[in-house]
Amino acid sequence: MAARILPVVKLATKVTIAGGALYIAYDSGLLGSSEQGSEALNRAKAAIPPAVEEWMKYFGLETPLPTMPKVEFSPVQAWNSGVRRSISSLSEAPTKATQYTNQGLQYLKDLTK
Amino acid sequence: MSEKELGKKWDRCLADGAIKFGTGLGLGIVFSVLFFKRHTWPISLCSGAGLGMAFSNCQNDLRSSYLLHRSQKVGLCNKTHSN
Repeated sequence: MAARILPVVKLATKVTIAGGALYIAYDSGLLGSSEQGSEALNRAKAAIPPAVEEWMKYFGLETPLPTMPKVEFSPVQAWNSGVRRSISSLSEAPTKATQYTNQGLQYLKDLTK
Repeated sequence: MSEKELGKKWDRCLADGAIKFGTGLGLGIVFSVLFFKRHTWPISLCSGAGLGMAFSNCQNDLRSSYLLHRSQKVGLCNKTHSN
């Protein structure tokens, strides 16, 4: 009797867990439009520090967590400045190339004098 | 669409892509472990589906400024039928 019900119970548990995970993902707006997604991300970011604190207290580690050092590096700024520099160097390249070749030719002429 | 708005749309697109990929990955892992004997294909299927959803959202978002919205269409209808 129990041996026959057990597979059914197992299947039911699995379906419940999978369905619950799917429902949580749907309910928190992770599967919706981009605005809902960024909203969910902001909520998660706001909820992390208190959760981390609670876990630290639970484990008895009362030492303050080393705060993330405020790095002044912005990947967006770095990328933008890199793009600007490479494009400007590309646009100046022909002029510079002619300049250097002229200088080289002048130097060689001076050598042969 | 101004440059600033376009930049914000792209930011939203990338963030949305990351979120949906992560969600798909998580759900794929859950399904793979529970139902499909830890094969890899549910994981790749679900994360791919997440990326596809993000792509579709991004496409709609970037196209939305060129579409006629419903209120404008109603206005046009009223205009043509009033003659």
